[in-house]
Amino acid sequence: MSFDAPTIVQIILGAIALLSAMTVVLVREIMRMAIGLGVFLLSVAGLFLLYGASFLATSEVFVYVGGVLVLMLFAIMLVQRSDSGRAVLVSRHDIGSASVALGLFVMLTVALQGVSNRFTGSAPESSMQELSEVLMGGRLVQYEIAGLLLLVALVAVIVIAGGDER
Amino acid sequence: MTGFVGGAVYGLAGGLVIAVAALFGVWWERKVSARIQMRLGPTEIGPAGLFQTLADTIKLVLKEDITPRQVDRPLFRMAPLLVFTPIAMSLVVIPFAGGWVPLNTSVGMLFFVAVPSVSVIGVLLAGFSSGNTYATLGGLRGAAQMISYELPRTLSVLAMALLAGSLAPLEVMNRYEWWWTPATFIALIVYFISSIAELNRGPFDIPEAESELVAGYFADYSGIRWAIFMMSEYGGLVAASFFGAAIFMGGAQGLPGVFGVLLIFAKALVLITLMMLVKWTFPRFRSDQLLTLAWKVLTPMALVQLVIVGVILPWL
Repeated sequence: MSFDAPTIVQIILGAIALLSAMTVVLVREIMRMAIGLGVFLLSVAGLFLLYGASFLATSEVFVYVGGVLVLMLFAIMLVQRSDSGRAVLVSRHDIGSASVALGLFVMLTVALQGVSNRFTGSAPESSMQELSEVLMGGRLVQYEIAGLLLLVALVAVIVIAGGDER
Repeated sequence: MTGFVGGAVYGLAGGLVIAVAALFGVWWERKVSARIQMRLGPTEIGPAGLFQTLADTIKLVLKEDITPRQVDRPLFRMAPLLVFTPIAMSLVVIPFAGGWVPLNTSVGMLFFVAVPSVSVIGVLLAGFSSGNTYATLGGLRGAAQMISYELPRTLSVLAMALLAGSLAPLEVMNRYEWWWTPATFIALIVYFISSIAELNRGPFDIPEAESELVAGYFADYSGIRWAIFMMSEYGGLVAASFFGAAIFMGGAQGLPGVFGVLLIFAKALVLITLMMLVKWTFPRFRSDQLLTLAWKVLTPMALVQLVIVGVILPWL
């Protein structure tokens, strides 16, 4: 194993991702949790960028950090009236969630054993063009169906939210 | 290792550029607003008061960096940087010269609209961590406004991407032809208005309205941290103007080398001055008015522009 620059960056980003993920689980202050999630999402975007998947990285920042996380922060700020102090660090649910996490870890390790060495290179810069050719070519029907589904969901949200006025 | 060094040099240079741009921007804004109000603006320090903002900055740096006792300390101290860094990063995909862009990536335009959206988190955090009602309300309003105007802004940029057939800003600039400006004039207007709103600048500055919310989400900040908020506003102003000049107005295209750089600077300066004229001329929008404008006026306009481009495209 050689320690060239990409490997070092990968190790650093991976460590940041792990630490921030642990922050989300272990910190009991909900705003810190959200920030930990943000750092985690950004470090994953950094990993995507490291492997040359620039479109994926940018989308990750746009959709997850700029969209989902902001909505979560909105919800937290609107709901949280007072800081209710620190909750207990250990609860009876922890055994269940820990075993689920362990099981997931084992499953992913087994499943990804063969592929772990395949992603050492970087994607070509034209990855976005290939992606769009796949989406607008062979997978057009699936793409359109997914779009239609999202549109239906959007209309449903408007109907539910505006239902009281009548 | 050269990558790290290059990145560090770029980062430092970018920070310096924004600092100088903010200094110049504040001076220019004071001059423009003074002319509108039939005053002279700063005149004492330097030629035409040019160094007035430098003196102000030295004052701000020397001031005590106050962190109020009741705030959420780490989040409070982190928030200004979280607002500033993404805006500084967005400068990296702007083509400042004919054939040159700091980072030539195939997703540059997406990058430019995606990365500044991270600073919404900084605005929310600043409002939340200050722990007072004015700041929290200002933060919520500011964030709501910023994410609302992201949509028409992205759609207007998308129209240009569709017309040029590329998401790389340099490609779009190089393929520019003169009739693009009249054909995509709606997109330029949508981009212009939503950029002002995205920066929380007047007339869309209700989140930081002095008379209602004192200074909105950064009411509790002072000294250098307050200055970082102001710097990100002017940095965003410069970034939005240069990007608009490069994408919608052909940027440096047509003139070689240094002249091209001067051309894009001139175009960006026109946009900057227009934004300042708008700020000092129009009265402030109410919160509901500006959300209505985003969703019911600007978004449909941007969609109409997309349809127009879609109709033109097969005839090229």
